Amino acid sequence: MNFGVSAVLTRTFEEAQKRVMYRFLLYVLGLPLHLVVYLIYLSKRKDHTYEAAIAAVQQELKTVGGKNSWLEEYEEQLQRKWEFFQEKRSREEIHSEAEQLAEVRFQEEVERRTAERLAQDGFRKETYSAYFQSLLESPMFVIVSLLPGIFMYGLLLLISNPFLKYIMERLVQSVFVIIGVGTLVFTILYISPFDPASNILGESATPEQIVAFNQIHRLDLPYLQQLWNALKGIATFDLGSAFAGNEDVASSIANKFPITLTIAIFSVLMAIVIAIPIGILSATRPNSFLDTTFMFIALIGLSIPNFWQGLIFILNFSIKLNWLPATYSPGNALSMIMPVIVLGTGLTASIARMMRSSLLEIIHEDYIITARAKGLTKSQMLWKHAVGNAMIPVITVIGLMFGGMLGGAAVTEKVFNIKGIGSYIVDKQFIPDIPAIMGGVVYIAITISLVNLLIDILYAFLDPRIRSKMKQS
Amino acid sequence: MEDKLNNRHALVLSKEYPQANFTWIISLIISMVFLVNSYSFKTGEMNTFVFAIFIAYLATTFLQLFITRKMKRDLLDTGAIQKKARRLGYIQLISLVTGNIFAAAFAFNLINERKTPEYTFAVYMFLTQLFVIAISAMNIFKPYVTDTFPLAMVVLLIFAAFHVAVLIIVAKMVGDVKAPRSMAIVAILVLLTALTGNLFALLLGWSLLLKSMSNDRSRIMKWNVMWEKITRNSTATLGMFFIILMLTISVVSRFTFDYALAVENDYSHILQPPSLAYPFGTDNFGRDVFSRIIFGARISLLVGFASTAIPVIIGGFLGGIAGYYSTRTDNVIMRLLDVLYAIPGILLAIAIIAAFGANTTNLIIALSVGAIPTYARTMRANVLMVSNYDFVDSARALGTSDMSIIFKQVVPNSLAPMIVKSTLTIGGAVIATSSLSYLGLGVEPHIPEWGNILRVGSTYLESHSYLAIFPGLAIILLVLSFNFLGDGLRDALDPRLD
Repeated sequence: MNFGVSAVLTRTFEEAQKRVMYRFLLYVLGLPLHLVVYLIYLSKRKDHTYEAAIAAVQQELKTVGGKNSWLEEYEEQLQRKWEFFQEKRSREEIHSEAEQLAEVRFQEEVERRTAERLAQDGFRKETYSAYFQSLLESPMFVIVSLLPGIFMYGLLLLISNPFLKYIMERLVQSVFVIIGVGTLVFTILYISPFDPASNILGESATPEQIVAFNQIHRLDLPYLQQLWNALKGIATFDLGSAFAGNEDVASSIANKFPITLTIAIFSVLMAIVIAIPIGILSATRPNSFLDTTFMFIALIGLSIPNFWQGLIFILNFSIKLNWLPATYSPGNALSMIMPVIVLGTGLTASIARMMRSSLLEIIHEDYIITARAKGLTKSQMLWKHAVGNAMIPVITVIGLMFGGMLGGAAVTEKVFNIKGIGSYIVDKQFIPDIPAIMGGVVYIAITISLVNLLIDILYAFLDPRIRSKMKQS
Repeated sequence: MEDKLNNRHALVLSKEYPQANFTWIISLIISMVFLVNSYSFKTGEMNTFVFAIFIAYLATTFLQLFITRKMKRDLLDTGAIQKKARRLGYIQLISLVTGNIFAAAFAFNLINERKTPEYTFAVYMFLTQLFVIAISAMNIFKPYVTDTFPLAMVVLLIFAAFHVAVLIIVAKMVGDVKAPRSMAIVAILVLLTALTGNLFALLLGWSLLLKSMSNDRSRIMKWNVMWEKITRNSTATLGMFFIILMLTISVVSRFTFDYALAVENDYSHILQPPSLAYPFGTDNFGRDVFSRIIFGARISLLVGFASTAIPVIIGGFLGGIAGYYSTRTDNVIMRLLDVLYAIPGILLAIAIIAAFGANTTNLIIALSVGAIPTYARTMRANVLMVSNYDFVDSARALGTSDMSIIFKQVVPNSLAPMIVKSTLTIGGAVIATSSLSYLGLGVEPHIPEWGNILRVGSTYLESHSYLAIFPGLAIILLVLSFNFLGDGLRDALDPRLD
């Protein structure tokens, strides 16, 4: 058992050496261990086999005169090349270029032959990483060094599993993206020519009042300090108080976020329930009357601005027919119907179109013809082989569109007077209230990143093509 | 019976038959819309004017149904549409009087059996001119017109007459691959009329020049095949028609419409219902909504095109570099763009506008920045594919520099998906523009822009709902046109569908 772990560690260590980032991480995480081992390695390294072998090979190649024959060969090649392009080059130019090429080839040849010879004799080029790798092969070393190298071993075990490694890499990537988003949004608001202090305090504010305002909200600090505070605030859910109204930004966002999220999730559900069957129906009867009608309606759905659709709904269903309330109130399920439909229309149209084109593409694949040839009925073929595969790009689209929906929710929320995160950001942008806007935008971006991360990870488990690709790399 | 089965494929292959079906369905739907609107449910009154339009559209629909039936019989019996059915197209041309563009376009298509791209361009060029004249002519009912109005109308009418002449010449003289040399003169005159913004004239002029001057047969064939694919798709062509109509209107309105009517307050005519003088009514400051919508087209098209062109250039450049060079360059560029990609476009736009203020320039910048990663990704994927082709390898073997390979070999060959993508996203940009204006974050409130007009209209939803309905319809029509055109371009340019 123990021996197995040791073998896994050795193999992973060897593979991780190929990537700069992992090599760096491994050395940093196992720093105490590596310091000790490196000292031992230095004191032990008396072995001059490699240098001796290189010298011998060099001598050998020189006496054979390999270099001169290469030089002639290259000179001839270069001459022919310039003749072909009908360009004039002097003999010296060609000679010096050929000499360079020959020198490069000589060095390569020496290294290759040395490595070959040493491998024949059972030696290998002695480097620190090779030395460390040979140590890892013995279970005893692993057990002794377990405590100082615990982090490094943890990392090695983590990346020895392709799934865990993939998930970890995606997670790290998401963290960097989120930090990038925070930095970007903060920088945009920081370089704004507007001055929140004079906007809020009014034109009659004295200079002392403005200085005091800037001090309270820490706007007098240098850029990097403010950026650090903002990023720290996002990570610790402590964004301070808003510029106007003295409310706690983090708790306002926490209150408003669930409202937007609920409506968005219901919209996604509605879109999936309606769009997937329509997409399948259309794809199985391409260019029929039904298909054309559905796709025509879908395109209209894509072309309607949310706010106009909302207004028309209010006009017809609230004002004229008086069926549904015109504004949203939490807890009233009826008041949620119109916002959900309005927000979900674009998504429904996109999913239906995507499902149709994806399924149409799959139906013409060879394996579907095989499935038909082996005697499956059309519906068996459709449900067993086609729909599942066609769903893969559709799910990606849903993930991507979900983000767009959270962003676009601002407009719908304004129309139906919903106190969600979108209308919160819009209300705050006139000041501009830096912590509020930044918090709103970044938390939405985080949610979107998490949703996409989840979808990517799901794929890693569900899609056999991605699975096999991951194992190969 | 045997014959009928054999001729079934003639139904599917026929260029006119699907359009015939599409036309009668659309005509029927439009006439139903007029029927519903001719009767007021609140007061129980009939609007005779709207009802007359309904009757006219219904008549067109029945004629169209009759033609369609006849075409179907012809196709099933003989495999081709007979002369007699084609002559019915001349009767259907009358539908032009009611402004039924669908039936008119179909009629023109039916009359001429031998279709060249030039014929289609000439037809739509003429139709665009006619619609522009009709829309501009609405000004006669106004209390006063601009000083340039009479002269502009005369020029437009001369152009329209010239276009009719060109249409007849093109139908008679231009062949599939060759046109008489003398057509070059006509082509140049046609190109001059494109200055009104009528891009069909530009296309026609270019196409005529190509056929009369060039001897490169393969180039002409390629041009023919591409446009045949696009014009076969009647919705895509109609989309293109509407976009070019809007473009022409925004150019011509400078001379035929009075900007003062759209922006200056007139408290004696507040909140007037739709009438001949004010086709879409007036708003709470007495401004003519019809004029405002006409002038709004300018802004929507400008912002739509600009906020698509900028990210196409920047994103295309970044994506091209990322796709062509090593993994490291690729990684650095794409990871940085991932940050932009993680923020929804509208939110990023709101943040940028919050920081720099709401005006048209900032709006264009804000919408452009958010769209860069999408284009970079599209371009990168194409470049990755194209740079593995043999012609790139041979260019490299010939010692061409990297920059020259990228811009002369790789980029031109990966443009098609970018064109399709940008056409499809201009619609999105138009929606985003009006959405942000609606929120008060887009174009300055005093400028007539569709979102701004709707913003005013939304406060009068209960009492004067037409204030909110018409600008919304304008947005939908423009966006729908871009989407239809984009779909058509994708079908035409995607090599996988060949």
